[in-house]
Amino acid sequence: MVDPVLSVRGLKVDFGGEGRSVPVVRGVDFDVYPNEVLCIVGESGSGKSVTSLAVTGLLSETARVHGSIRLCGIDVTTADPETLRQMRGRDVGFIFQDPTTTLNPVLTVGRQITEGEVAHGRLKKSGAHARAAELLREVDIADPEGRAGQYPHQFSGGMRQRAVIAMAMAGQPKLIIADEPTTALDVTVQAQVLAVLARRQAEMGSAVILITHDLGVVAEVANRVAVMYGGRIVETAPVAEIFANPRHPYTRALLRSIPRIDTSDSRLDPIPGQPPIPGALPKGCAFQPRCAVGRDQPLCKAEDPALVAVGDQRQSACHFAGALPAEAIAAEPRILAASAAKHEPLLVVDGLRVHFPVKTGVLRRTTGWVKAVDGVSLSVNPGETVSLVGESGCGKTTTGRAIMGLVRATGGSIHFGGQSIRDLDHGTMRKARRQMQYVFQDPYASLNPVLSVEDIVAEPLRIHGLYDEMGGARRIAELFDMVGLSRTMLGRYPSEFSGGQKQRIGIARALALQPKLLILDEPVAALDVSIQAQVINLLQDLQRELGLAYLFIAHNLSVVRHVSDRVAVMYLGRIVEESSRDGLYELPVHPYTQSLLSAAPVPDPAVRDTRRRIVLEGEIPNPASPPSGCTFHPRCFRATEICSANAPSFDRYLDFATRTACHHAGPLEGRRNVFASGAMEIAS
Amino acid sequence: MIGFVLRRLLQLVPVLLLASTAIWAMIYAVPGGPIGAIAGDNASPEQIAAATAQFGLDRPVLVQYADWLWNAIRGDFGMSIRGRAPVLELIGQRLPATLQLAVAATIVSLVIGIPVAIASALRPGSWLDRILSGWSAMALGVPTFWLGILLILVFAVELRWLPSASAYVPIWKDPLGAIRNLALPALTLGIYVSGILARFLRASLVSELRADYVRTARSKGLPERQIVGVHILRNALLPFITIVGLMMANFIGGAVVTEAVFTYPGIGRLLIQAISTRDYPLIQGCIVVILVLYIAINMAVDVLYAYIDPRIDYR
Repeated sequence: MVDPVLSVRGLKVDFGGEGRSVPVVRGVDFDVYPNEVLCIVGESGSGKSVTSLAVTGLLSETARVHGSIRLCGIDVTTADPETLRQMRGRDVGFIFQDPTTTLNPVLTVGRQITEGEVAHGRLKKSGAHARAAELLREVDIADPEGRAGQYPHQFSGGMRQRAVIAMAMAGQPKLIIADEPTTALDVTVQAQVLAVLARRQAEMGSAVILITHDLGVVAEVANRVAVMYGGRIVETAPVAEIFANPRHPYTRALLRSIPRIDTSDSRLDPIPGQPPIPGALPKGCAFQPRCAVGRDQPLCKAEDPALVAVGDQRQSACHFAGALPAEAIAAEPRILAASAAKHEPLLVVDGLRVHFPVKTGVLRRTTGWVKAVDGVSLSVNPGETVSLVGESGCGKTTTGRAIMGLVRATGGSIHFGGQSIRDLDHGTMRKARRQMQYVFQDPYASLNPVLSVEDIVAEPLRIHGLYDEMGGARRIAELFDMVGLSRTMLGRYPSEFSGGQKQRIGIARALALQPKLLILDEPVAALDVSIQAQVINLLQDLQRELGLAYLFIAHNLSVVRHVSDRVAVMYLGRIVEESSRDGLYELPVHPYTQSLLSAAPVPDPAVRDTRRRIVLEGEIPNPASPPSGCTFHPRCFRATEICSANAPSFDRYLDFATRTACHHAGPLEGRRNVFASGAMEIAS
Repeated sequence: MIGFVLRRLLQLVPVLLLASTAIWAMIYAVPGGPIGAIAGDNASPEQIAAATAQFGLDRPVLVQYADWLWNAIRGDFGMSIRGRAPVLELIGQRLPATLQLAVAATIVSLVIGIPVAIASALRPGSWLDRILSGWSAMALGVPTFWLGILLILVFAVELRWLPSASAYVPIWKDPLGAIRNLALPALTLGIYVSGILARFLRASLVSELRADYVRTARSKGLPERQIVGVHILRNALLPFITIVGLMMANFIGGAVVTEAVFTYPGIGRLLIQAISTRDYPLIQGCIVVILVLYIAINMAVDVLYAYIDPRIDYR
């Protein structure tokens, strides 16, 4: 048996001073072996990041660490600072979440990649540039010599994260800790970065701890999984078994609460309540108040179960681990919105263009245009959900804002309820906006912190002078009922609410004026997995009860598949494919849609080695200087000469319900479905 | 970069125009004039009228302003009414003294401010941080005239090490003499401003210390000295040099009190004298020169910014 690279026993981490200490990690044991990828899964506050920082002694001084952490034979908890410093970079490398903030903006990338080795005395300063270029080449960065001398802001997000991988691997560490390494990246870029990470790990034989909340990523890369909840590991098992037969109620509930990209599933089954706050854990089992099995069971309320073996290589911390009922997913069919009856479309956007000027020179003359939105046409019927999906910078948010009149449209038309609402004067636009409200992505930043939530929800009514007419305080209380918030919370301030509750407040505010259309801009992207399901269900209930139409803007393909009636895929300011939900996911005909769907991780380890994958090269081009012809052609695996010469028109594909803009539209050869297993295909 | 500088210079034109108009208007809004002082108390109305005509002050205000503006554009700021010398010549005598003091005071404030800020930022909340923060607050709170007089009492009157009145000695002619003369006024101004700078840099350092890239640097096993000296300081200096630039620009026209305490021949004192005698051309000249320097220093800061921060692109 090989010795583990890392062996953690009885790890406890407390924060805060004497008397008011908050336990964030409460007794964690695990081992990581060479050549192994251990995924630690958990929601915010589960203690997963703190555990990983404790392993390298990188916690702040207010943290107190108990237990033992043996990394390459040295106990980290008792090592002196100089020994620890020597171990970092040499024995353990770190990859952090957000590559825009983890790199120092004022130093060159090359210097940052090699300065660790220089500090450890293993590399001379004179050789640093050549070494940096070599490391960048190993993570597939083109022109590594030139790139090493550039600064982080000259790199795209995916390139930055690859540079961070190069940096973490520079010292050939035996353990690599990656904390949400792809969470900030787009799905096609995530696929590239995960591929680079896996290849470099295999070449060096290091052990990897990958911390994530994304069960799709787990299924793609993990060998073994540890699920954390409330500061403890509640279940650990090989990846296939975690997904096939979870032995802890939390794991089971988590798997059931996520929307899946590979099926048109039934209603989501959210975990009730909120993840516990480290300072205020429930007595007994931390999951007990949210648990379908153990809620209000005297044993679960009294005693925190120990993590015990429940089979070969498997452990679970549940009093009922041996007696969990058989999996019973309620196969409740999704209730389709009443859009079947043909209405006049509520919103019709035709040829919408939003161009921003690029100004240069002494006189700030306009020398070019960024075509953020360049000819978008779509319609939304009453009671229907139409989704706009695409990667960052594709123009989906700008489209939403232009429809609301928050940015000025450069061209095209926008009709709402049969009336043109483009270029209206202020007063008329305000009236039109009554019917049309916006829910913002970030529930933390979109609520004014100095207003009570009652005033926040009442504000649209007051602005339109309808507060008394629509029932005043009674109306606000009704709205709170509608979004599932207690009326007792009316007088509180936003800081007292969790992320999911804040988003409910944002939805209540949007509903105050009884709109017909909500524009939902990434409404669940900032929320924890178990909370996402709650908010998605709420949105679907509200739609059914109030007959709302949704324009749903998102990058998460699984969520979009779950909520939509129709889906439009955007690339560089244009819609490249639009179809019914199942039409688009089951039979995509545009190469970009096909690549996008194949790059999205599927939470099912059984298909990961056989699934057909198209890894796109490069990243979304700069919209200020888009490629000629079809803007997707430089990355497209079907591109021919005509693609660089002529832009394809947006037309119906054969006699399908699908409309697409591609010279070579058609299903992937051999397979109807990108989710079916097939040979790995790398686009070039 | 050249385009950026040109653009900033173009922006200077309306600022100067607006400022000189405002000053002209303010001068004439206040009763009294320069002629009474020139002609003397016993002057007859005829004598006053003659003097007024001699300086062209009997013409309509707008004509006077247009005349002044036309000459100023061609580089002629007119004659001082009281000093009977070209305005530019009077300013030219004072300008080097002012610049020398401004540079010296800035150096003093940086030499005190930066180490104080680093020492207190590294361990926020420690006893050292509390002592140094207290010191910064005191440096800010003590009035410069009082500090100046205190320094004179100690170093000039009691110890007799330094002169009590500071003359202008060009540093390239007599470095030692220049330092002896500059020491007390530069300390007075520098200590005051070091309090502001230390507080500002400390806040900036403390927030940078929590940045993600610092954690990354630690995870690479870099020594703490390198993390603070290279990674953190370069980022923290970015907002800091803006403040340094503003403070230095402030020394040009705003060191009046200190100049008065040390009877130092700077532009600030010249301007005060000009105002008290209603010497219109001299007031205008001083303010235009102070404004131009103020903007020039801030422009230099912006250019410096581009060198330190690679993200800034002044195209």
